[in-house]
Amino acid sequence: MSQFTEIAIGIAQVFGNLLLFLVIAPFLDGVVRRVMARVQSRQGPPLAQSYYDVLKLLGKENIDSAGILPFRLAPLVAFASILCVIAILPVAGRATALTPYADAISLVYLLTLGGVAVLLGAFASKNIYALIGASREMTTMIMVEPILFMVLLLGVLKTGSLDLTAVIYGTPMAAFGVPGVVMIAVSLFGLQAFVARQPFDIAEAEQELLGGPFIEYSGPNYALFKYYMMLKQMFYAYLPIAMFVPLLGSGFYLVDLALQMVLTVVVFLLIGLLSATHPRYRIDQAIRYFGVLFVIALAAIGAAVIF
Amino acid sequence: MSIRKELEAKLIARLRDDVVCVEKTDERTIYIDVKRAGFREASQIITASGARYLCSIGYDNIERDGTLAMVHTYALDDSNRFVCCRASAPVDDPVLESITPDLPSAGWSEREVTDLLGLRFAGHPKPKKLVLADDWPEGIYPLRKEVPHDFVPQGAEDVAYQLDEAPPGTKIVPVGPFHPSLHEPEHFAVYVDGETIKGCDYRGFMTHRGIEKLCQTQVSYNEVPFIAERICGICGSVHATAFSQAVESAAGLIIPRRAEFIRTMMLEIERIHSNLLWLGVAGHLIGFDTVFMQAWRVREQIMWLCERLTGNRKTYGMILVGGVRRDITPDIAEDILNVVKKIEDELTVIYRAIEKDTSIHKRTKGVGTITRQQAIDWNLIGPVARARGVDIDARRDHPYAAYDEMKFEVPVLDGCDVWSTLVVRVVETFEAIKIIRQCLDKMPGGEIFVEMKDKIPAQRHAITVVEAPRGESVHYVVTGEDNRPERWRVRAPTFTNLQAVPLMLLDEQFGDFPIIMGSIDPCFSCTDRVAVVDLQTGKSSSISKAELDVMSRKRLQGNQLQQVQK
Repeated sequence: MSQFTEIAIGIAQVFGNLLLFLVIAPFLDGVVRRVMARVQSRQGPPLAQSYYDVLKLLGKENIDSAGILPFRLAPLVAFASILCVIAILPVAGRATALTPYADAISLVYLLTLGGVAVLLGAFASKNIYALIGASREMTTMIMVEPILFMVLLLGVLKTGSLDLTAVIYGTPMAAFGVPGVVMIAVSLFGLQAFVARQPFDIAEAEQELLGGPFIEYSGPNYALFKYYMMLKQMFYAYLPIAMFVPLLGSGFYLVDLALQMVLTVVVFLLIGLLSATHPRYRIDQAIRYFGVLFVIALAAIGAAVIF
Repeated sequence: MSIRKELEAKLIARLRDDVVCVEKTDERTIYIDVKRAGFREASQIITASGARYLCSIGYDNIERDGTLAMVHTYALDDSNRFVCCRASAPVDDPVLESITPDLPSAGWSEREVTDLLGLRFAGHPKPKKLVLADDWPEGIYPLRKEVPHDFVPQGAEDVAYQLDEAPPGTKIVPVGPFHPSLHEPEHFAVYVDGETIKGCDYRGFMTHRGIEKLCQTQVSYNEVPFIAERICGICGSVHATAFSQAVESAAGLIIPRRAEFIRTMMLEIERIHSNLLWLGVAGHLIGFDTVFMQAWRVREQIMWLCERLTGNRKTYGMILVGGVRRDITPDIAEDILNVVKKIEDELTVIYRAIEKDTSIHKRTKGVGTITRQQAIDWNLIGPVARARGVDIDARRDHPYAAYDEMKFEVPVLDGCDVWSTLVVRVVETFEAIKIIRQCLDKMPGGEIFVEMKDKIPAQRHAITVVEAPRGESVHYVVTGEDNRPERWRVRAPTFTNLQAVPLMLLDEQFGDFPIIMGSIDPCFSCTDRVAVVDLQTGKSSSISKAELDVMSRKRLQGNQLQQVQK
């Protein structure tokens, strides 16, 4: 294979990834909504409802209630940062043209940037609900991001490389060991926090904060935030599948990919079930919960280093 | 010695000439008239003898003797007595001594009287506006007889309610007038330090409709129950029953026993509806929508039942002065039994699931805690009080309708938190089902309505309480000329319980605000005396707004045509 075709495939992979996530993420959100509805004895919205929501918002007027640049920029930065994450992600074990330029650290970096953009927008809006929501979001980020980092760090330790493809897809091949099993548990228990769903939808908390950081947003700006949340949700649901479920290795990329996507849908069913069977935690209760997760994850890393 | 004589002796020993008279008007009501100098002390003596403060009623007596009168009402729960203490002040010097320093829950009653009648209270700790709009002109008191019921004063610009000063180092979070955890327009200014609540000020009464004034000037006794029912969209029958009982008591009218049984049954059906509604809302407020949806799915059946029973899903229109409107046929009785059985089974399933759910415990146990003594000091009522170890229930302590024949438990818990109120409400729902079964079992035959033939003499006072799902509702009626009440005061349970919410909120997390607020099952509409609209049409073939507009216009034009033809 010539170098040129390799690059062409790599670039195609970037767009393929973006297309895959942009197209499937709202559907998966619809799955969660439908699962919740069924648990609640409701019929629930159509599976495509989240597409309609985004489309409708995109067609609405963009109200710039704060009137300052950071407020307008925040949704763009958040959306762009999650797109970057997807662009460097080696989906189903195949690196994109951009993967070699990134590593596990830049992945965490870009994910955090999205969170920071949400905070930026919230602080710029100067709304008291947004401020409370932002302070909750910040607390959650400080507690949850290290847990995510440690999940990736286990991959780094197992494979001895920071390269994304190796970190994400190398872990299952390098045998789990006890730390690996513990980390699977940690990422499952942290799942609802990563996707900001009940019991950890604390920052948005409709009944208390009316949407928290997003309260002042409307129209296309809000659509971008919504889309950002859905993409982030899909990424976090896909990550444990990629890291802890070995690739099928059928030789056909599309078959491998299809299987991983089916498994991602299963994770979304789990998200829906968990959301429907939990009340929202208070921020102090959530911090205690994250604290325990953090210590366990740290112990697993310690064990992986020593043994 | 009778309770009346005992009270009289105590009062005369302390107040001497200030006591005008102590009389007993019916089996359970004692009236005490005092001169205004002894008003506060009389109140102290009454409460010291074990009476629980209910509410205060002010009324306009200017035409008769140039005074504004005030009645404080109390209940003696152990001996099923009500004590009403009256005093008056001349209209040119309308000042009485405040009892709020002794009884904090009298605060709103007195502020309301100040707003609506212009009677002021010396020594009131917070003499701010309560009911009237901020731009209401000075010196016009809408409950005085000289003010017409449809009086609309000129509005004013740039007038706003002055919030209490925030404690230092706190931020103000406005909750309301529109907020998803309130459901009705009210304004709480919550003072938070980080996420901890350090205080709160309340400005409500934004939807005051002036129902009392309307009924005192425009309609007759027989029509009031239907308006009373529209005070609240959830405990309508409670208000209609309470009003009817007050009028019946003033008129000395004895209603058929069968009617009393049907009233009891309607009140309990309403309690089941209300408690299921509350359970759903409580679930929603802690972000647990599954509880919300499941509780309301169960609730839906009782609304269908009521539609078959009365023609309406919620506002039943069953209660009349003198009885009830519709009889219970054997078919309907069987229908009721089937539906309550189904609700009992389904609620048991939900309750079992909630009971063991540790995450619900996390959000409700130890939340909104106040002690039993605080609950007594603030005169809390209903499930909110019973969850704090205060053993009161008007159905048992002051039996009305057919409750004297019913056997039921009054659940009293001492958890003092939101979780206990949840348990109390669920247990009460099961008890309500028991009462309905007893009603149908023991219901005597006979008439369901007796007509009021004689004119009710004017100037008779009557007080009744009815245990609403949220606590007791107090209705006080002063009969008047023209076949309508001269004064009718409604004290809904939220009016009392809401006053203690700032205490429950103190030092709690802001995230718990919705559920603490929700734990008293606030019914702002009752407090403001305005109707809530039912949330769902429940039918797939619902009418669109445009269609409704067309229909109403047709109706309106038809009425106008008829009037022209007349």
